[in-house]
Amino acid sequence: MLTVTGRALCKTYDETVALSGVDLAVRPGTVHGLLGPNGAGKTTLLRALLGLIRLDSGTLEVIGTVGGFVEVPGAYAYLTGRQNLEFLAGLDDLPGDVDEVLRRVDLFARADTKVGGWSLGMRQRLGIAAGLLRRPDLLVLDEPANGLDPRGALALRELVGELAAEGLTVLLCSHDLVEVDALCEDVTVLVAGSVVWSGAVALLRARPGRFLLTTSDDEAASQVAATRVTVGVSPAGGLVVTGRTEQLDMFVLDLAAAGIAVRGLLRESLPLEQAFLELTA
Amino acid sequence: MKVLPWELRKLRAQLRVRVAFLVCLLGPPLLALVLHSQSGLPKDTLFGRHVQDSGFALPLLVLGFAGTWGLPLLTSLVAGDIFASEDGQRTWAAVLTRSRTRGEVFTGKVLAACVVALGLLVVTTISSLLGGLALAGNGLLTGLSGTQLSAGRSTLLVLASWASVIPPLLGFTAVACLLSVLTRNSVVGVAGPVVLGLLMQLLSLLGGLGPAAGALLTTPFAAWHGLVRDEPYFGPLWQGALVSAVWIVCCLLPARWVLLRRDMQ
Repeated sequence: MLTVTGRALCKTYDETVALSGVDLAVRPGTVHGLLGPNGAGKTTLLRALLGLIRLDSGTLEVIGTVGGFVEVPGAYAYLTGRQNLEFLAGLDDLPGDVDEVLRRVDLFARADTKVGGWSLGMRQRLGIAAGLLRRPDLLVLDEPANGLDPRGALALRELVGELAAEGLTVLLCSHDLVEVDALCEDVTVLVAGSVVWSGAVALLRARPGRFLLTTSDDEAASQVAATRVTVGVSPAGGLVVTGRTEQLDMFVLDLAAAGIAVRGLLRESLPLEQAFLELTA
Repeated sequence: MKVLPWELRKLRAQLRVRVAFLVCLLGPPLLALVLHSQSGLPKDTLFGRHVQDSGFALPLLVLGFAGTWGLPLLTSLVAGDIFASEDGQRTWAAVLTRSRTRGEVFTGKVLAACVVALGLLVVTTISSLLGGLALAGNGLLTGLSGTQLSAGRSTLLVLASWASVIPPLLGFTAVACLLSVLTRNSVVGVAGPVVLGLLMQLLSLLGGLGPAAGALLTTPFAAWHGLVRDEPYFGPLWQGALVSAVWIVCCLLPARWVLLRRDMQ
């Protein structure tokens, strides 16, 4: 059963279409990335998940409780970090332990100072703590590394990884494709309020019909290929083979018949950034 | 009811709320000190000429003042900001993803604003009464009919007079809540009811409204005048309570409707 199932989600602000028939499927226990250029509808989708906006149409089903934040996490500047969390815990039926979540996001030592003097990075971590305090089944994070220094961003990635390993489902909206690549198993890519891709990151990066081949004799393999597939030399070594899967099958059999050993055959994989740019161009 | 205690704790931590309570606590005694240290008296105000003769005159003098703009301002300081501050600090996402519904949050916030408004009223009542008694003693109070009233009766009248402004005070609390929800702007939420109150006062002073003047939310602030007479009359009190109730309903219903349906940032 999916943690999030969204079907044909639509939302319009005045004349602006924010979501247009968006489908969303988030598997439990995964980190699911939400990507897209500015104005693609990501934040609107997150707001809908957190129950902050009313959708015009469509069905959005979430199994369990949701915690998290959109854009910059809010906090009461005149309260301490601990008081902020105690207030939120007071509004929950079964709240988590304030000290535990403060330790989890590495804010325990500063918990009794007023949030007004905190850096953006500390507020981001407080936002995550507020989300975790609810013992959520789904944690929604919108640009959580925003404002964090490299060490803080790394610590955040580790934290999200740990949470996912413990079975928590995380929906991560981020422009940082390195972060998405490192954390997410699945991604949904939005452009202008519509989904242009949804599925595994590995599949998004894979370039259809292009394979990287290494053999015992690449030069001879190129000659064998002439009638079956198109072959070029890969800058990284080996051959780039272009063709349909059945053509590739025949080519591999031809290589074997010619006494050429196949040492490696992989789908060509693009950097996520390049795949994203091609998809959203 | 789970929201109310937490809202009150949050409000208690706010500087403006603490300052408001401090002003209510220290303002009337300071006013008494100033009036007793100068030779002239504010004779053009109700009970102003008696502040040096009876300690019971000061709370009624303060009440006359407070009804003009003081009470609308005091309640707006809290109620006008109570919803808009969540927009300003972008905390709706954190609040509305807890176990409480929007309706519960709305009710809790409105109740918290009412509790603080009543708290400010009680503090002002007590501090003005004690401040007046400390500086002028419990001499006989001269009522609006010219009869001198005993200390016991004067105490009751002072308390009843202050209690009589509770309905319009809550009416202004409701106005501030409505503006806070609608505009999402603390400045409008705080200043709006004060400006509205002053406009109503101006309309009353200009006259010509006829029976419609009774529908103004500032009119019930003067309903206590009927109590401080030899033959007290209560009609304005009941009418004021009814008018305030109508204002409360007409402000809180749309405020709730909007908050339950609006998109949050």
